[in-house]
Amino acid sequence: MAKKITIALAGNPNVGKSTLFTAITGTRQHTGNWPGVTVEKKSGSVRHRDTDIEVVDLPGTYSLTAYSEDEVIARDFIIDGKPDVVVQVVDATSLERNLYLTTQLSELGVPLVIALNMADAAEQRGDIIDRKKMAEFLEIPVVRTVGSRGEGIGDLLDAVIRESGTSPHHEHSIGYGDRVEPVIADLVEALRQDPGLTSRYPPRWLAVRLLEGDGDAEKKITASRARDAVYTILSGVDAGEYEAMMADRRYEVISAVLPQVCTTCVREMTASDLIDRVVTSRYLGIPIFLALMWGAFELTFTAASPFMAMIEAVQAYLAVAATGIRPEWLATLVGDGLIGGVGSVLIFLPNIFILLFLLAILEDSGYLARAAFVMDRLMYSIGLPGRSFIPMLVGFGCNVPAIMATRTIEDRNDRLITILINPFISCGARLPVFVLFAGLFFPENPGTVIFGLYVLGIVVAILSAKLFRATVLPGKPSPFLMEMPPYRLPTAMTSVRHMWDRGSMYIRKAGGIILIGAIVIWALAAYPAGVEYGSAASYAGMIGQAAQPLFAPLGFNWEMTVSLIFGFVAKEIVIASLGTLYGVGEDAGALEGALLADPALGCVTALAFMVFVLLYLPCLATMAVIRKETGSWKWTAFSVIFGTAVAYLLALVITKAGAVIGGV
Amino acid sequence: MTGLPLAFVPEGKKVTVSEVRAGPGMLRRLASMGLHLSSCVEVVCADRGSLIVSVTGCRYALSRGMALKVLVQEAGA
Repeated sequence: MAKKITIALAGNPNVGKSTLFTAITGTRQHTGNWPGVTVEKKSGSVRHRDTDIEVVDLPGTYSLTAYSEDEVIARDFIIDGKPDVVVQVVDATSLERNLYLTTQLSELGVPLVIALNMADAAEQRGDIIDRKKMAEFLEIPVVRTVGSRGEGIGDLLDAVIRESGTSPHHEHSIGYGDRVEPVIADLVEALRQDPGLTSRYPPRWLAVRLLEGDGDAEKKITASRARDAVYTILSGVDAGEYEAMMADRRYEVISAVLPQVCTTCVREMTASDLIDRVVTSRYLGIPIFLALMWGAFELTFTAASPFMAMIEAVQAYLAVAATGIRPEWLATLVGDGLIGGVGSVLIFLPNIFILLFLLAILEDSGYLARAAFVMDRLMYSIGLPGRSFIPMLVGFGCNVPAIMATRTIEDRNDRLITILINPFISCGARLPVFVLFAGLFFPENPGTVIFGLYVLGIVVAILSAKLFRATVLPGKPSPFLMEMPPYRLPTAMTSVRHMWDRGSMYIRKAGGIILIGAIVIWALAAYPAGVEYGSAASYAGMIGQAAQPLFAPLGFNWEMTVSLIFGFVAKEIVIASLGTLYGVGEDAGALEGALLADPALGCVTALAFMVFVLLYLPCLATMAVIRKETGSWKWTAFSVIFGTAVAYLLALVITKAGAVIGGV
Repeated sequence: MTGLPLAFVPEGKKVTVSEVRAGPGMLRRLASMGLHLSSCVEVVCADRGSLIVSVTGCRYALSRGMALKVLVQEAGA
């Protein structure tokens, strides 16, 4: 029978845990060069020398004291999930700080293995790390790994299996000195009154945590009979002073060990620092950011054209073939529903993929964290920490992971505001609408129009944040403190892979929910039996006309109204239903023609429509994740109503302003 | 022991931390990130109010408000 063990990958943020996880299990986990990419635990499995190993990838954490949601997940799993072995992934280029967590983990007494990751980067710059000595000093096995190239995985798993067999194991512990140790001894004594507690947690570890004022440790003893004795001891000590002493002691131990195991070359300014001087400078920071964004949207539009032409050609061929299908209703289903509906969305996949590729480069290079830094002052002035800017940028790809990414924000109100404004950030699904309408009605400079829409999304998000801060969610943003990862040159391979990981979702959606949506709309447009396809007499026409008075002030016709109604399921459906309703299947590229020919549509209405699609209610998946992350239906409903109201108002302003300008 | 707030240290200068005037939670958190008493800090960028500092090879961005609470002395002093 094979042995079965569970191991946890823990460590500081951005040390390569998810990359190592991918290398070990072959299950691809999203990675990136910024702290906080992973906010959920994820497990995968691997079989190594007759042992089934369940590997759990955890969010990064600097210590076992958790401040934010993602750190809580990591800490809870390490402490209460009782993994057989904890693998601490250590960034070989910054041992000192990484070893701080090691001192805490070894106090916990769980079997520990250190994966000395990114060892190649340390070696390249000339560091020499004596792993054997390090393992001796720390009494923890140390294995060299390079997660990105899959080096050292076999050795790591060997060490993990060896360690898993060594229980019960001793606790390696730091001596905290003459003033602290007696208090720890008293606390341990007091905790021993409750054997139930000490059987679950090592008493010394718990005593240390309590003395450091760890809120979670205090929670663990509130129901214990040792509580009163513990409180009596704690009330007699100055928490802040002890805390500082203990942190100092940990670093003393680390700095006693480090020089013996590691020879670090003295470094002057690195290239990263030089780049930072430029991209974060006071005058250039924001212009550089805007220029990069504008370039990205320009490229999204222009570089995609040849691919779009190819997809269109294939669709034109299929559309002709589809007309031969019998019975006739099936021909219109395939022609109008599938090719006209789903096909209209597929055409824009190249745009989405190029945008995702550029976002991947942004994530992998390390610039993302700098963008947050550059925006910090602006964000602070609207009442949000600079960290909140990261979910906004992630939202360009998709709002769902973006809202998940808010877990790294500690303060509840900060986080709630960041969640609520995220749907205003235009995701990849809205891009097809912009590409289509901007290309048709603003043929001179579609890239700039799209860029403008994205900026509008950001501006609306920012103003909304300011409004929420001033009204429903008051408070001061928490101070900005964030790690800036070193710049890395992203490889084409990894960025393409990241693009694919996020982009394949759009293909699956096209084959799933959008397909279903297109079929439903086709049926609504084709029935009741006998009506002219897509006419006002069809069910779709009836729905559209019933709701249309609501949108008449914005100048939207009933076809657009129907597309907006169904678009809440997924925003690509806006395009799919326009394609279906205008019945353009037989002739690819005809949606453009049909839209241009429609007298109801001009530049102003097109702009109002794009702005409405940008801002109106979040899609179904986004609503679900808002509900999950806020834990509240009230805020979910708030987000829906607020978004739609803002969308309506702005679209109305554009329509009215357009009428005034046009009327002069 | 006192010193100059980190926020006033010019770009490119290396200093050592002499005091952190923060609440217990923040103290512990800064310590876990490598910023503790006597740790060596180099200011990388300082021209926007908030700064980027380098601590034992890691770069952190911190707001001016926080940089005012970290007191430092010239390295080697």
